[in-house]
Amino acid sequence: MSLLQMTGVDKSFGHVAALSGVDFTLEAGEVHALVGENGAGKSTLMKILAGVQPPDAGSMTLAGQPVRFASVNEAQARGVVMVYQELALVPSLSIAENLFMGRLPRLVGYRELHERARALLVEVELDLDPAGEVARLGIGERQLLEIARALSREGRILVLDEPTAALSASESERLFAIIAKVKSSGVGMVYISHRLEEVFRIADRVTVLRDGRLVGTRAVADTTADEIVQLMVGKSVRRYQRAPRTTGASLGAFEAAGPNLAPLSITLEAGEVVGLAGVIGSGRERILPTLFGLEGTASWAGEPVRSPREAIRQGIVLVPSDRKQQGLVMELTVQENVSLATLSRLQRFGFIDARREREQTRTWIERLSLRPPEPRKPVRELSGGNQQKVVVAKSLATEPKVLLLDEPTRGVDVGARAELYDVIDGLSRRGLGLLLSSSDTEELIGLSDRILVFRGGRVATELRPPFDYEEVVAHVTGARQLA
Amino acid sequence: MSLARVNWREVFARFGLVMALVALIVILSLLSDRFLTTSNVVNVLRQISINAIIACGMTVVIIGRGIDLSVGSLLALTGVVGAGLAVGGLPAGLAVLVAMALGTALGTFNGLFVAYAGIAPFIVTLAGLTIFRGAALAYTDGRPITGLPSFFMTLGYGSFLGLPVPIWIMLAFLLVTHVILRFTALGRAIYAIGGNEEAARLSGIPVRRVQAFTFAYSGMAAALAAMVLTGRLNSAQPSAGVMFELDAIAAVVVGGTSLFGGRGGVFGTLVGALIIGVINNGMNLLNVPSFYQQIVKGGVILAALLIERLVATRRT
Repeated sequence: MSLLQMTGVDKSFGHVAALSGVDFTLEAGEVHALVGENGAGKSTLMKILAGVQPPDAGSMTLAGQPVRFASVNEAQARGVVMVYQELALVPSLSIAENLFMGRLPRLVGYRELHERARALLVEVELDLDPAGEVARLGIGERQLLEIARALSREGRILVLDEPTAALSASESERLFAIIAKVKSSGVGMVYISHRLEEVFRIADRVTVLRDGRLVGTRAVADTTADEIVQLMVGKSVRRYQRAPRTTGASLGAFEAAGPNLAPLSITLEAGEVVGLAGVIGSGRERILPTLFGLEGTASWAGEPVRSPREAIRQGIVLVPSDRKQQGLVMELTVQENVSLATLSRLQRFGFIDARREREQTRTWIERLSLRPPEPRKPVRELSGGNQQKVVVAKSLATEPKVLLLDEPTRGVDVGARAELYDVIDGLSRRGLGLLLSSSDTEELIGLSDRILVFRGGRVATELRPPFDYEEVVAHVTGARQLA
Repeated sequence: MSLARVNWREVFARFGLVMALVALIVILSLLSDRFLTTSNVVNVLRQISINAIIACGMTVVIIGRGIDLSVGSLLALTGVVGAGLAVGGLPAGLAVLVAMALGTALGTFNGLFVAYAGIAPFIVTLAGLTIFRGAALAYTDGRPITGLPSFFMTLGYGSFLGLPVPIWIMLAFLLVTHVILRFTALGRAIYAIGGNEEAARLSGIPVRRVQAFTFAYSGMAAALAAMVLTGRLNSAQPSAGVMFELDAIAAVVVGGTSLFGGRGGVFGTLVGALIIGVINNGMNLLNVPSFYQQIVKGGVILAALLIERLVATRRT
């Protein structure tokens, strides 16, 4: 009898089917890896397991008993515990207090609490003072602390969601050692990861999801990294393919370095689209913020870029990955947002030239076919795709030479996505240089003239067209290195 | 949108404040026949002028997601310095300008700590509150400054086209503040920073400089109010302006400017100051004892924010 059996799980959001008919089993003392590209349904499946969301259809048994979790607490009470990517610890409280959060006695006896905490810390081989503040711990130690907390809740099933994304190599080693130890005590673990080398090292079985469907479960001993990549990718229909084009006219070169980024140099030609690929933690997600002067050190064409202001002055502009947090001022209108990066150009003696502002906004509303085409509408009332167009309009209004696109189509519907791709192609025709950082392989292949693949904070491979989908995924996940 | 179907929620969100003010005026005019007389209306406007001037500066700070608790003390310090210089022989007009420059400088001092040292505005201006008060007391040795030149009398008691000078100063300052907020790049930057500082920085807006400006502007507003108050009292008191910061903040928030930044405007603040002023005035006319007046004032502030909260949550 399996520790966990999920059968025929369906889940849709609106009209979009996130999961259809997925089966999943987990044995006691097993590490079962769950892989698939972004949007394949891994997180949704695990949220259903952990009681975060109810399934639309399907059944679940724990050690043979049918269960149905209405909440996270119910799932935890039955021993299903999720260890999240974004850690759920309170930094200002002590390690012991965090370990027993929500289960502290009404009157806390610190001596006893610390003793119990110490015992738990020994289990995950953390040599820490239970009275110490969590704020002083590194990200790796925090991750281990989360696992200790999960174990203390008598977890029989642990779900680890990309646990190594933020960890260094040595911290990852430590995590693997503890996973092996926990495993030997009979706990079942679901291990979500984009890194196949880890999957092949620590997992017993691997299940691949694609577009919300189960495409295969294999024993790790009986499969190869190439087979897993093939399952992940399938026969995908390429939706967009831009004609690759470079002019040979050099625009300049970026130099960059940062805390999790080895020094690198990227040259850019006019009209060129350089794709940046890599899993979270590979350094790929750090490059564009670095080049835009937000962190680390960077220079463009020999000139230092120390702030977004300097970057914009040098003709570099970023379309950030998180439009709500970094791109838009939700209180303001479409027009006010579009003008945000060009205020200094729109003003005369400090006053905003209302006519020029209106004209500029109208131009961009037309060029990007913003819907509805109303400059006075608050941006918060727009759809995700149209909000993203406003961010792009704001950036392009600065008339940049180089456009940095960070996950430009995250949370954007299919229609607006195709329009944004056309916009990107149009910019390349006009001779802009573009850097495209994306976790969407199809997007990278469809738009890039070359792709830089990042691993371990450096450029591991440079790929040139014609791109082979499987090969790109194999490089990104590290499967190529296993073969 | 059809004309026949009026969206009352939208109307309330937009004009609720003005409607509240009108309702208040109607009620008070029914309760007291002295309320809606020309002389009493002018009286209310003159009474609110000092608070409204300070509150204009406060509006700018709060839209930029700050707060300025130092304005009452700053008013006292700039008041005694301006008066002291004038009594000491400096031409009165020049003394006023020096006092306003000092107010701007002290506001900038607050602003630099907030913007460049990254200390919370609440803390920085709380420190300012005690520092400036202490400086005012030290400068005067705790005694009021009297024997001012007649220029100050004009500021406090003069009139122009039938309206008292303090009201003209208030209206002019309101207009200037409105123009800055609505028609300049600087004003737009203040809204952007208050609404989303990160997005503003990524758009190349000089966030720190703009933040520092908002505090400088608030300092200047407090100094301007100090000059009017000095004229009204015909003397400068080192103990003037105690708790003025709270009246100004009350006018701003009753006037619909969000304490979370990014939203609001100076006309709302005027209406807020008027609501508070009308309540004070009405209670005086109705002979409500002053202890109870404070309770009512606090209650009105809570009620205004509660209503705003309800309208705002329904909207989303």
